[in-house]
Amino acid sequence: MSNTLGRLAGILSVGAMLSGGGLAQAADLVIAMPNWPSGQATANILKIGIAKEFGLDAEIKALGELNAFVGLESGEVDIHPEVWRPNLDAVIEKYVEQKKVVTLSKRGVDAWQGLCATPAAAKDIKSIADLADASKTTALDTDGDGKGELWIGAPTWSSTGIERIRANSYGYADNLTLVEGEEEVAMVAVDAAIATEQPMVFACYAPHYIFGLHQISRLAEPAYDVGKWKIASGEDPLWVSKSNAAVAWPTARFNIAYASALRNKYPDVTRFLERIDFTTEEVTQMSYALEVERQKPSDFAKAWVKNNLARVDRWAKP
Amino acid sequence: MRRVALAILAIGLSGVILTDAAAQTQIYDARIRKWVDYDKKKARQLYARNKQLPEAFRMQMVPFRTAEKPGTIIIDGNQHFLYLVQPGGQAIRYGIGVGREGFGWAGIVRVGRTAEWPPWTPPAEMVARDANAAKWAAGMPGGPGNPLGARALYLYEGDDDTIYRIHGTTEPWTIGLDVSSGCIRMNNDDITDLHSRVAVGAKVIVLMQGAALYKGV
Repeated sequence: MSNTLGRLAGILSVGAMLSGGGLAQAADLVIAMPNWPSGQATANILKIGIAKEFGLDAEIKALGELNAFVGLESGEVDIHPEVWRPNLDAVIEKYVEQKKVVTLSKRGVDAWQGLCATPAAAKDIKSIADLADASKTTALDTDGDGKGELWIGAPTWSSTGIERIRANSYGYADNLTLVEGEEEVAMVAVDAAIATEQPMVFACYAPHYIFGLHQISRLAEPAYDVGKWKIASGEDPLWVSKSNAAVAWPTARFNIAYASALRNKYPDVTRFLERIDFTTEEVTQMSYALEVERQKPSDFAKAWVKNNLARVDRWAKP
Repeated sequence: MRRVALAILAIGLSGVILTDAAAQTQIYDARIRKWVDYDKKKARQLYARNKQLPEAFRMQMVPFRTAEKPGTIIIDGNQHFLYLVQPGGQAIRYGIGVGREGFGWAGIVRVGRTAEWPPWTPPAEMVARDANAAKWAAGMPGGPGNPLGARALYLYEGDDDTIYRIHGTTEPWTIGLDVSSGCIRMNNDDITDLHSRVAVGAKVIVLMQGAALYKGV
C-alpha cells in the first residue's frame, strides 16, 4: 500500500543530504521532515509548539528516512515526526534497540489498510464476506461484462500482490475483476463514483485524505491472525499462488522518534514529545489540509496550534 | 491499441450508420427515478424529437469533491462524462461519446496542444479500405463536415502525442454512447466551451474502465 510504499520510498530517497556544515548552528534543534503530507504537517506543528512552549528555535530539514536516522545518531537531527512500523522495523532494530541512540515515543498513531466502499456500495456490501456474493458485486461492474471491478492498488506496490492473495483466499477473486492502477487515478475514480452515487469498492488505507473528502466505510473482516497470514516470499515468482491470507492486514503504527541524547539536552522537550497524542482522524485532517486544500505546512501548523492551544500547553506541562 | 483510436473517424466520415449496439449505456430517468437503457436507436429518436441531448449529457455544473486542482480534466468513459474541475468542490460536467471498449487505457496525460476546426488525415489502412476516406488521403480540411468537429484537444504523454484526442463531432446524438473504438467525442458547442476554458498543459485523468487496466496473475 502506498503508506508502506511511500514510506519505503522515503527511506530510499536521498533527500537533502546532511551537509555537516554550519547551517544548523543558528537553531537550537533540528526536526527532520519527510516527503509526505502528514509528516510535513507534524514537523511544522512540533516546530511551532516547541517555540511557543520552550522558546527554542527548531530548524526543519527535508530528509530521507535513512539520512534522518543517521542524523539522529550523529547529533545533527533531534526529532523525526513520523516513523512507521512495521515498514521501518529493520532501522528501528538498529538505532533504537541495538545502538539505543534513538528513542521512539511511547504513544503512536494507529494506521490500517483494508477495503473500503462508497456510500452507494456500502448499502449492500458491508463486509468482506459480502464480496463473495456475486448478486451483490455485479453492481460494481463498470465495463458491462456483468462482473464487478475492484481496485487493489498500484502495480508497483508490494501490497497489491497481497490484496490479490487476500482476494483468492477469501474467494471474491472469482466474481470480481481485480484492477491495478495508479493511486491518483483510483482516487479520482472514487470522486467520480461519489459524484454520481455509483457503488465502488477499493483498496484503502488510513490515515488518508480520502476520508476527509468523502464518506467512506471500511469493510468488516476477521481480525489479523498471525497463524492465518501466510505470505510467501515475493522473490518466489509463484508467491501469490503459494500464499494464503483470509484475514485483515496487521495494524501498522507510527511514532515520533527523537535522539536519545535529547533527553539530557532538553528533557522538557522529550517529555513534550512523549505526550503528543494525535489521533488517526487528526492525521487524516493533516493530509486533507495539505493535499486537498493545498495549505502550506507552516500555515496549517500555525492554525493547528492556535486551535489546540490548551492541548499543546498540556503536553508541555512540567 | 492506439491505432484503433482513429477508427471512429471512418464512421463519421463515411456517414455509415453506426451499427454497434451500445448495450451498456444507461441514462437516469428522473420521472421514474430509474436508470434506463440508452441505446443508439433511442438516442437518435430522442435527438430527432428534442434537438438536444438527454439532460444528463448536457453541460452542467455539478458538485464534485476531489483533491485534483481546478483546471484538471477527468474522463469517466463508463458513465460518459467529462469533468472540468472548478474551485469550490464543483466541476463542469459534459456528456461524451466513447468507443466500444471505452478508452482502452487509463492514466494521466496532458493537453499537449489544441486546434480550432482541426484538419483530419485518415490513417493509411482506412484509406486502403474506404473510398470515402481515400478521397481525403492527403488530409481533410477543418470544417462542419470534418469528423473532428469544431475543436480538438490533443492528448500528450510527456512530449509525445498519444494520438488520442478529445474532439467535436458531426453526430451529436452519439454522445452518451459506446459507438466505436477510439477518441472522446463531445458535441461541438461543448468542445468549443471546454476548449475556451482549458490551457495547454492541463492535466487529464482517464479513469479505469473495467478491465482496461486488468493485469492477470
